[in-house]
Amino acid sequence: MRNRASHTQQNARLAGVLLFLVLSTLLGGCASAPRLSDDTAQTLPTRVLHDDVPFHGQRDYQCGPASLAMVLEHQGVEVSVDELIPQVFLPGREGSVQPEMLAAVRRQGRIPFVIDNRFESLLTELAEGDHPVVVLQNLSLPAWPLWHYAVVIGYDRQTGELILHSGEEPRRRESFRRFDATWSRSERWAFVALPPGELPSAIDAEAAIEATADFERVQGAETALPGWESIAERFPEAPMAHFALGNARYANDDAEGAIAAFRRAVARQDDLAVGWLNLGLALRERGDVAAARQALKRASEDDGPWQERAREALSSLETGVASD
Amino acid sequence: MTTLRRFLSPLLILALVLGSLPVVAAPQAGSGELIGTQAALEAERSHDARERIHEVLARDDVREQLSVQGVDPAEVEARVAALSDAEARQMADRLDEMPAGASVVGALFAVFVILLVTDILGLTNVFPFTR
Repeated sequence: MRNRASHTQQNARLAGVLLFLVLSTLLGGCASAPRLSDDTAQTLPTRVLHDDVPFHGQRDYQCGPASLAMVLEHQGVEVSVDELIPQVFLPGREGSVQPEMLAAVRRQGRIPFVIDNRFESLLTELAEGDHPVVVLQNLSLPAWPLWHYAVVIGYDRQTGELILHSGEEPRRRESFRRFDATWSRSERWAFVALPPGELPSAIDAEAAIEATADFERVQGAETALPGWESIAERFPEAPMAHFALGNARYANDDAEGAIAAFRRAVARQDDLAVGWLNLGLALRERGDVAAARQALKRASEDDGPWQERAREALSSLETGVASD
Repeated sequence: MTTLRRFLSPLLILALVLGSLPVVAAPQAGSGELIGTQAALEAERSHDARERIHEVLARDDVREQLSVQGVDPAEVEARVAALSDAEARQMADRLDEMPAGASVVGALFAVFVILLVTDILGLTNVFPFTR
């Protein structure tokens, strides 16, 4: 009898230990408050609040369009929640998905930049950039998700709180710890909407180039040109930044500027075949045959996807010269 | 029947591939005959021609999915056009699994209790009254 009782006790203890283990692995990953690196902690201001961000309360499940309206209006775009709903809301899903949030920003003539997915980057963006940040949170647990878009407008390091326009509540305060727990479930997805020519601080060259190229595809080279100028200035070492700037200048009838940009692109990356190719084509257009030949030769040496185009251009250059 | 299918499918695939190639290779409007930035970035990323064809088909797929999800037909085209190639591909591949901001929690009592506890622990933010 006693033996059996101790057995049950032992089983109960085992079950308890197991439950504890399961719970701690389930919850442990997100239970700690986010920490800032020493550098950031020293340089970041204690308190930031972008008080000029308008608030639009969400109706039904439309936190996506409402968040968009807030950041776009802050950027000087005149667009209402009602106009944005048919542009992003998916009735079948009763919500809005990330790609379409970004696409809607493009349609409104602003570039959506997805920023680095770190808590530190979010605070840096709020402090250094003069703009709010849209975040995607899962307010619930991964098993029963409650996805939610909100607009972060500031923070207070003294109280350890983030300040958000969220749902039906303007200037809601959420502790760093709780916010980061809910935000980390979207892999810390966040974006800012900026006019071409402005860049977020928390972004690398590749992401900035991609965001601007995607914008250019929708809004055209003329609108995107200031964006490329500022990327080439901010990331002077990135060959593709100069390449893209060259294309945008060329499309805006600035052949000289384009040639200069293409030259910088190939100077950064000697084997950038597509850079040599466009340089050669632009030079040929200007009638600079000798320089064009040199550039196209370089382009045709690389056995990548542009080799054929380069060879064609080179041979048409030779026949053109012969017939002159 | 099987032999017929075996004979027809490569032909069909070939026709589809050839049919979509010019779309992929078409130079971007506005940049003359220079290689467009998008095309150059895309070539850097994926050398596989199949992947690029997949992207063209992806937009058709997204168009269809948006209509199924109840998007106004007049809006579908503009919404698809504003997506980047990569986004269109993501949407075509996994729209169903994508987080849609503002979904509702399946309201089970057990779930309610668990979420209440995690809310109090500061891990979730479902019920406003726990703050």
